[in-house]
Amino acid sequence: MYAFIYQAIVAAFLSSFSLALFSPLVTLRQVSYMGEALSHIAFAGIALALLLELNLQLTTLIFVIIVALAISWLSQRHKLQESNTITIFLSVSMALGITLISLKKGYSFDLESYLFGNVLMVSQSEIYHLIVLALLNIFFITFFYKELFYLSYNAEMAKFYRVPVGLVNTLFMILLAANIVITLRAAGIILVSAQLILPAVTSFNLVKRLDHSIISSALIAILAASGGFALSWWLDLPTGANIVLLEFVFYLISMLFKPLIKGA
Amino acid sequence: MIEIRNLSYKINGNVILEDINLALAEGEFAALIGPNGAGKSTLIKLILGFLPLQTGSIHIDGIPHLEWLKRNSIGYLPQYEEFNRHFPATVRDIVLMGLVGELPLGSRFKTSHRQRAIQALTFTGIAHLAGHQIGSLSGGELQRMFLARALVSDNKYLILDEPEASLDQPGVKSLFALLKDLNKAGKTILTISHDLNILSEYCSFLICLNRKLHCHTSAELVSAEIIHKTFGDTVRLIEKDY
Repeated sequence: MYAFIYQAIVAAFLSSFSLALFSPLVTLRQVSYMGEALSHIAFAGIALALLLELNLQLTTLIFVIIVALAISWLSQRHKLQESNTITIFLSVSMALGITLISLKKGYSFDLESYLFGNVLMVSQSEIYHLIVLALLNIFFITFFYKELFYLSYNAEMAKFYRVPVGLVNTLFMILLAANIVITLRAAGIILVSAQLILPAVTSFNLVKRLDHSIISSALIAILAASGGFALSWWLDLPTGANIVLLEFVFYLISMLFKPLIKGA
Repeated sequence: MIEIRNLSYKINGNVILEDINLALAEGEFAALIGPNGAGKSTLIKLILGFLPLQTGSIHIDGIPHLEWLKRNSIGYLPQYEEFNRHFPATVRDIVLMGLVGELPLGSRFKTSHRQRAIQALTFTGIAHLAGHQIGSLSGGELQRMFLARALVSDNKYLILDEPEASLDQPGVKSLFALLKDLNKAGKTILTISHDLNILSEYCSFLICLNRKLHCHTSAELVSAEIIHKTFGDTVRLIEKDY
């Protein structure tokens, strides 16, 4: 019983923490809509894995990474507006997912737990995946901090000043896709994008530097995960939704402190 | 030396640049003039590798420019740089961007890099703003910050796209005096400008562009005839003392 609860707490902590680490970069690069789109695109990956009876997480991960890179490539190659390309892929993926699931006759799919997340459903092996993901995030952001900083500031000028924009952006997209797929079971398709935005916008109200923002986003997310889990335990409410609601409350509180801290 | 041969460039079938041949020798302080839409910024973006070549070639120090740019930097002051004013960066962070190509992937800036950033900011007169957020700067201060970034890596070449934008007349004068000092110290400078009075005072070489290259000569030779040839009949020259 306690091991089961402990596993759920760790899942909530790790998924919130990982998404929060990426949150300031996603927000500054203005690709938060990409996060939302990829979480919906993951639905088609899940459906494909169920239909073909493949490993769910691995199939979804490969599917989402391919689509993320395709969006990036199409937008650059054909000068399409990225938002239009994303909307096309998002809608087509959702339609594909629903069609594929309906093809799997007689299979009862727990759609709700994927849409809104359920930390109680996270398995032991998924916990290991979350641990590896958190470590990869820490390594990527620490190692490529300077490059990510200038890529987020202005990609064209970063390229001019010889930042390997193509490499760093591709790794960023792959890791963003991995973050969304691996945290999906805990965070949910619909709620994952909120966890990719709220910690960052809260931290930007409180601190003035990107590195401070990454650290404070992670702390905000851990605090929200703790509170969200406690609320769901005591009041029998959904954990993922509580975490997002608490992150929103922290955001509102940070708005009150913003004038004091930033003098704005 | 920056050498441009038989360069032409089209956008959606419209000829922007036609058969440009130009050699910019080391130590020059050259100005690129021409009316709006003459292709000045396009020419600069081609030299800097922002745009791909269609016809012709550009060589820097005898090497194809894209090859040269893989290993070296050109100091560049854009006319306008798109950025989020709420981006959590200080003035020093943006100046350090000029040094990022000198560092291996994944490494951190050292104290010596930060000192060079402060030196560049001191040169452009805003060292006191090094720790300020970029969103808090005025237009003129931003221009000086970007100039410091262009200067921090001590490049041989410096290219500026309308540096007088966002500056008042005294500001323009002090900026060009600063550029002249850099030129005297050995830097080769190419600047786009509309301020012919300033150019005649500071530049050694004038390039008149209006799709085609009309002339390139020393600034003392700027005549009404050349100006009309470049800008068309829309320009009226007024003799004025400042």
